[in-house]
Amino acid sequence: MADLLGTIKDLCVRGKRVELIAEVKRALAEGIEAKTIMTDALIPAMAVVGEKYSSGEYFLPHMMLGARAMSEAMAALASELAKGTYERKAKAVVGTVAGDFHDIGKNIVKLMLEGGGYEVVDLGVDVSPEAFVAAVEKESPRFVMMSALITLTMDSMRRTIETLKAAGVRDRVLIGIGGAPVTQKFADEIGADFYSQDAYGCVEKCNQLLH
Amino acid sequence: MTPKQRVMTALARGQPDQVPWVENEVEEQLQIRIMGGRTDYTPGELCRALGMDGFGYHFPTGGAGTASQALQTSKSIKEAFYFPKKITFDFVPPWIAEMGVEPGGRTYVKRGLLTDRAALKLFDEFLPDPDHPARYEQVAKWIEQYREDYAVYARIRLGTASTIESIGLDVFSLMLFDDPDLVKEIHRRFSEWTVRVVENLNKLDLDFYWANDDHADTKMPWVNMEMYEEFFKPYQKLVADAIRKPWAFHSDGNLFPILDGLVTLGMNAIHPIQPAAMDIGRMKKEYGSKVCLIGNIDLDYTLTLGPPEGVDKEVKERIEVAGKGGGYIISSANSLTDYCKTENVWAMANAVKKYGRY
Repeated sequence: MADLLGTIKDLCVRGKRVELIAEVKRALAEGIEAKTIMTDALIPAMAVVGEKYSSGEYFLPHMMLGARAMSEAMAALASELAKGTYERKAKAVVGTVAGDFHDIGKNIVKLMLEGGGYEVVDLGVDVSPEAFVAAVEKESPRFVMMSALITLTMDSMRRTIETLKAAGVRDRVLIGIGGAPVTQKFADEIGADFYSQDAYGCVEKCNQLLH
Repeated sequence: MTPKQRVMTALARGQPDQVPWVENEVEEQLQIRIMGGRTDYTPGELCRALGMDGFGYHFPTGGAGTASQALQTSKSIKEAFYFPKKITFDFVPPWIAEMGVEPGGRTYVKRGLLTDRAALKLFDEFLPDPDHPARYEQVAKWIEQYREDYAVYARIRLGTASTIESIGLDVFSLMLFDDPDLVKEIHRRFSEWTVRVVENLNKLDLDFYWANDDHADTKMPWVNMEMYEEFFKPYQKLVADAIRKPWAFHSDGNLFPILDGLVTLGMNAIHPIQPAAMDIGRMKKEYGSKVCLIGNIDLDYTLTLGPPEGVDKEVKERIEVAGKGGGYIISSANSLTDYCKTENVWAMANAVKKYGRY
């Protein structure tokens, strides 16, 4: 079993989706639980992809390739996972803040979070502070993640946090922010719980905060 | 020295009489604020107001300020390209993309359209004829009319940014593996379009080109060196080889991992050396003997959110670090956007005068 899980992990790291899906199906046929494939092969694989990206060995295309393979493997496991006791690490609400329509960064964060074992609710782009509040009330997430690409819209992050406070739900969630102009200093200034320069760093921060 | 001499000396990595200041763009709404609400000023008047040494980009020309022309697309752009209604020095191809317009008028790429081979037909639909004489004739007249003694540049693209934005960064990332030849075909088409543009521009009395081709974020380039050499450089080189004037290369983000490959294209300058991504001291030390450095005044905070005193301090520091011995043109670390604080732009103008003298 360990060999097969090792192969699955390796194929996911290398983004070999066709071979990966075949091995995932073989593992299921051999009686390995979907939950085990997720927790012992696929999620660790995405951690390796993320570490390689953080260290500069992998660039964006390699990370995207790994994330796509992971995503397709998860889809192949979806019906089996639904039958069992597999639980995601936590739920995260993600969105590009009000006034900002750029979604690439947010989409990559979403992919990496899903690959990292999180359930993600994607609110899309130009998300108003009120929509974040409504999502927190409806979805009860552990994390709220906000993205902004231009300086002009960074203030929407501040307004969103203020609106979450006014609605009395700020303390129910951990708030992370990111995007090209965003810095740790700005995160501290507006009272966010964390900042990450890149998508995998975001997953790592979430993992740390859960422990 | 005249402003033009100052710029050309710095582009040749020489030391002018003072550090020149040129921006890749001053967005029109900001231009109008700088000019006290006027819209009918000449490029030279804007340069004199701020103490800038050159211009390119575009001007409201008596009309309303509009968003960056570098971010436009439309199936009907051809007529607008051939017969510009306002003063412009831009020769960038439109994105082959579905665009969105934010409430303030700023445009953004919603979705690249070149996602498969069938979409290649869109090149004919979107790209203007690069040899159509009308725009070149008009721009030649504007250069003659407005150049005074300023350095005048045209903005172009090597084709990389056009390729990535017109495919979409996420689709592009996977297409590198799924259909590498299609990525190359798309890049080749954009680059060959610019080659023809550049062959026409070489005949005009322009002083330099500014090639805007983002392919990095603050962490790293979107491709590694091996991919850069295979997918970008051969097509970028087509344009670089056609250029007969000095030129500056622009990409936001951290270029260090591919910079050794990039500089072999032979550009005269690198811009904008984004402070969040690249250390200008390292750039000066490692690449200052190869290229002129342009930029590095922070747009993420200093010019847009910070106090004027911060601008003054940053300009002083940059001139001390990057200006030593020449080969430095001061500039924002991208462009002067309309969301820069007006008082900070004036603070930059004052600081360049105060600290820029050699």
